[in-house]
Amino acid sequence: MPRLRRPSANSKEKLRKLADEELMERVAGNDADAFEVVLERHADAAFSLAYRICGRRSLAEDIAQEAFLSVWRSGARYDRARGSVRTWTLGIVHNRAVDALRRSGVHERRRASDEGIEETIEAPERTDTQALDNAASDEIRGALGELPAEQRRVIELAYFGGFTHLEIASMLDTPVGTVKGRMRLGLNKLRGQLQGWEAVGA
Amino acid sequence: MSQRRSDRDCAQLADAAVYVLGALEREELTHYREHLSSCAQCRAEVAELQPVVDELPASAPPAVASAALRERILTTVRAEAELLSAAGHEADRPARSRARWRPRGDLALGVGAAVAAGLAALVAVLIVVGSSGHAKVTVTEGEGLGRARRAHVSLRQRDGRAELVVAHMPQPALGRIYEVWLSHGPQDARPTNALFSVTGDGSGAVGVPDSLDGVREVMVTSEPAGGSSHPTTSPLIRVALPS
Repeated sequence: MPRLRRPSANSKEKLRKLADEELMERVAGNDADAFEVVLERHADAAFSLAYRICGRRSLAEDIAQEAFLSVWRSGARYDRARGSVRTWTLGIVHNRAVDALRRSGVHERRRASDEGIEETIEAPERTDTQALDNAASDEIRGALGELPAEQRRVIELAYFGGFTHLEIASMLDTPVGTVKGRMRLGLNKLRGQLQGWEAVGA
Repeated sequence: MSQRRSDRDCAQLADAAVYVLGALEREELTHYREHLSSCAQCRAEVAELQPVVDELPASAPPAVASAALRERILTTVRAEAELLSAAGHEADRPARSRARWRPRGDLALGVGAAVAAGLAALVAVLIVVGSSGHAKVTVTEGEGLGRARRAHVSLRQRDGRAELVVAHMPQPALGRIYEVWLSHGPQDARPTNALFSVTGDGSGAVGVPDSLDGVREVMVTSEPAGGSSHPTTSPLIRVALPS
């Protein structure tokens, strides 16, 4: 049986040079060091998403922890054909955060008061170390900002607020068909802009 | 823009956006997935919109995952890696010779490895307590885990807090849940409010909320959902603590 020990700085450096997908192959083989690199790369994004959704630091930490342990335990189920490791991980975070929100009183309160989501979130701790991620963030935020307010609102209430289309229709006192239409229009508009960036970037 | 509607458009086309945003009602989800399996147009719509939703997390205000959070995650992962490594390498050997312990100076943790032989379905639990390098080790073989062929159990302690981590446990039967008990001596089983279930692959973890001071055994039984004040079944897991 191999002796377990802390990875040497050397092996850590080697792991850091691997792509996420290669690391996940090792994670599937029970390699905790490879997992640590995956965690390093995506912990902030995962926590940010959980925090954005549930608005409470302790709950967001619980969600991020659960999600990463799920990534660790189900690493073998990761399929690179279906998207990046980051997308897969954040999808798990999103599902768990929305589940937690729906179980918690927070959701009921927000629904009752229709106060949206932004207002209840504490000021996030911003750091300069996140500058690298900022280009992509600025783009999607910019694109969301350019959407008509009613389209942006239904998208955010659904994705970050965890509300279903029926709940949103009721909250906004808007027909269900209109809510669905706004979601579709908004996402299509975002898609157009994302493709525009790709074309410009290429 | 691709918002033109024609008579040939599927009546459920607008649901694709709702679906990728995770905003369908729970009851609608099953039907919608069935629909997707038979409607190429809706599948194409989902495939077009999903990448857009995949970008939405980047719009969240950047926040930093604390060092404590990272450490908590890594601590569990390293313990489980060791556990599974031990199980994986020794799964074919007789239960008694399997439980082994290798000292690790870098983690103030107890890690247990339990492997049940295929037919006997025994659980052997190995516990390491303390960080002093003079860790005490006990091995117990517990009750069978029913159909579980390989169940791994570890009880980890640090800073006065304990966590029970299981792998390859069967899921509790419908309407039931696993409950953690602390025993201070013979015929003693005090309930904790630690109730847990396991994921589809049989893994689970639960913090033991009470102090382990004076505790002789940590046990897990299957109880009706909501838990019991007295054990109603015999323990599936028994972890004997060094006295």
